[in-house]
Amino acid sequence: MQTLKYILKRLVEMFITLFIIATATFFLLAAVPGDPLESRADRLPESVRNNLYLKYGLDKPVLERYVITMKGMLKGDFGESVTMPGYDISRLLKETLAPSARLGLQTVIIGITVGLLLGVLAAMFRGTWIDYLVIFFSVLMISVPTLIFGLLLQKYVAGRLHLFPIIGWPKGKDLWLGGWKYTVLPTLTGCFSYIATYSRLLKTSMLDVVGQDYVLAARAKGLSEAQVIRRHVLRNSFIPIITSLPMSVAFALTGSFFIEKIISIPGFGRYYVESVQSRDLSIVLGQTVLMAALYVVVVFLVDILYTLVDPRIRLHK
Amino acid sequence: MNINTNAAAADPRFTIEGCLDSDKEAIARPTITYAQDAWRRLKKNPVAMISLAVLVLMVLMALLGPVLCGQDYIAMDPVNKNQPPSAEHWFGTDLLGRDLFARVCYGARVSLLIAVVCTLVQIVVGSAYGGIMAFFGGWVDDIMMRIIEIMRSLPYLLVVILVMMVLGNNIPSLLIALCVTSWCNTARAIRGVVLQLKNAEYIMAARTLGASPGRIISRHLIPNTIGILILNIATSLPNYIFQESTLGFLGIGLESPNTSLGVLISLGQASMEFYPLQLLFPALVLVLIVLSFNLLGDGLRDALDPRLRK
Repeated sequence: MQTLKYILKRLVEMFITLFIIATATFFLLAAVPGDPLESRADRLPESVRNNLYLKYGLDKPVLERYVITMKGMLKGDFGESVTMPGYDISRLLKETLAPSARLGLQTVIIGITVGLLLGVLAAMFRGTWIDYLVIFFSVLMISVPTLIFGLLLQKYVAGRLHLFPIIGWPKGKDLWLGGWKYTVLPTLTGCFSYIATYSRLLKTSMLDVVGQDYVLAARAKGLSEAQVIRRHVLRNSFIPIITSLPMSVAFALTGSFFIEKIISIPGFGRYYVESVQSRDLSIVLGQTVLMAALYVVVVFLVDILYTLVDPRIRLHK
Repeated sequence: MNINTNAAAADPRFTIEGCLDSDKEAIARPTITYAQDAWRRLKKNPVAMISLAVLVLMVLMALLGPVLCGQDYIAMDPVNKNQPPSAEHWFGTDLLGRDLFARVCYGARVSLLIAVVCTLVQIVVGSAYGGIMAFFGGWVDDIMMRIIEIMRSLPYLLVVILVMMVLGNNIPSLLIALCVTSWCNTARAIRGVVLQLKNAEYIMAARTLGASPGRIISRHLIPNTIGILILNIATSLPNYIFQESTLGFLGIGLESPNTSLGVLISLGQASMEFYPLQLLFPALVLVLIVLSFNLLGDGLRDALDPRLRK
C-alpha cells in the first residue's frame, strides 16, 4: 500500500516536472528576439506574409500562443514544423528514431560488454600489467573526444584502407538488421566512452567489495577463487552498474549529436540542433519533452531498481 | 612514565638526563597540514607528477608560445598557404597562410581560460548553493532542489544554443552559456556532504557562540568539503575543454577571428583530406591537456582519499 502511494506520488511529480520543462522551453524560445519566419517572410508580399503568420499562429501574443501550445500538447499534438513543411513531431520521430535507436543499442551493447569484461580483468589482476594496461586505455579513451575518434577512424580506416563506407546509414528494409558495414564505424566511435566508463566503474566497485568481510568469509570456508568472484564479488559489485545502466541506454537511444553529424546519419540528435537553431518551436518542444520524459521515467525506474537489487535500500525515507 | 621519573628521582643512584618535564608534551615531528599531506603522497605518484609537468608545459606554451615562435595568429600570408612544418612555421600554416603553431597556442589559451573561469563559477556558485540548501533544510531545501531538478532536465544544448543566439558568438557569451546549468552537480555533491557535517559538534559549538549562518557555511562547512571540491575541479576542467571543442565543431561556439582548440579542430576537419596535420596538431594538444588533467585527477583522488592511506 505504501509502495503504491509512493509510486503515485512520483508519477504526479513527474507530470509536474514535464509541465515545467515544457513551459521553460517555450519561454526560452520565445525570449529570443525575432521569430522563425523572419528570414523567409521578408521578401514576400504583405498579404502572403500575413497568411503565413496566421497559419503558424505566430500573429498572436506570446501568452495566447503558450495556452494554445499547452492545450495541443495535452492532446499529443505539438503542431506543424515551421522549417520543414508537412512535418510534425510524430512524423519526424517515425523517420529518425530508428537509426538513432539502432546505433545507440549497438553502441551500448558492445561498449558495456567490453567495458565490464575489462573491468573484471583489471580488478582480478590488480597491480599487474593487465590492470595498468586497462586503466591506461580507459583514461586514454575518455581523454580523446568522440569527435576526434570519429574523424580519425573516418580518415584512416574508411578513407585510406577502404574497409568501410565513409558516411551513410542503411535505409528501407535494412533499417534494423542489414547494412552492417555502414554501422561499424559509428558504433566503434561511440562505444569507446562506454568501455572507458564501465571498466573503471566496475573495477572500483569490485575493489570495494573485495575488501568486505563476507568475501573473507567466503574464502575462509574454502570456496575456489573463481567461485568467490562469481558468487560473491561480482554480484555485489554490480549494484552501481545496474543502477547506471538505464541512464546510459536512455541517452544512447536519443542519439549522439556528434556521431550523427560526422557520419551523416539521419538520426534524432541531428535534427535537435538544427531545429533549435531555426527556433522551430513544435519540433524543439516535442523533442525536449520526449527526452525529458525519458529522463524522469528512467530516474524513477532506477530508484525502483535500487530496492530490487539491494534490499538494504528502502523506497520511503 | 610518571611513576618511572618519580622512582628515578627518589633513587639517588640515578639522575634525569635530557628529559625535562616541560618538553615532555612537545611534538617531535613538524605538524603537517591537509594540503602538505596530500602533496607528499601525490609526489610519490610518478604518473600524476608527469601529467602535472605536461600541464605546466602546456600552460606555458599557451601563454608564451606565440612570443616564442614570433608569429601572429591572425596574420594571413597568401603565398605560404597549407605549408608543412618548417623552421619558420613550427606546425606549418593553414589554408589562409596563418601560422598553425601560434594559432594552436592561442586556441589552447582560450580553451584553458574558458575551462578555468567556468570551473571557478561552477565551484563558487555550486558550493554556496549546496551549502545553503543543506544548512537550512526543510522547505528551503525542497524548493532549491526542485530548481536544480528542472535545470538538470533542460537539454544542455538547448540552453547553450539559445544563449549563444541571444548574446552572439564571443568568449563572454560562451562562458555564460556553459555556466548556466553547470553548477547543479556541484551543488548536489556539496549538499550531500554538508548534510552529514551539519550535525557535527564543531558546528554546534559555532552556533552556540552565535556565529551567523553565512559564517558557519563559508568558514566551517565549505572548507570541510575541500576533498570533494578538488575532485570536482579535476573532472570539470577537462570536461569544459571537451564541451568547448564540441560546440566549436557544431558551429555554435566561437567564430573567427576568435579561435579555440574546438574551432581549430573543426577547421582541421575541413582540410583533413589533404592536410591531415592541420587536424592532428590541435587534436593532439587537446588530448594531451585533457589526458594530463584526467591522470592528475586520478592521482589527486588517491592522494586525498583517507581509505587509501598506507
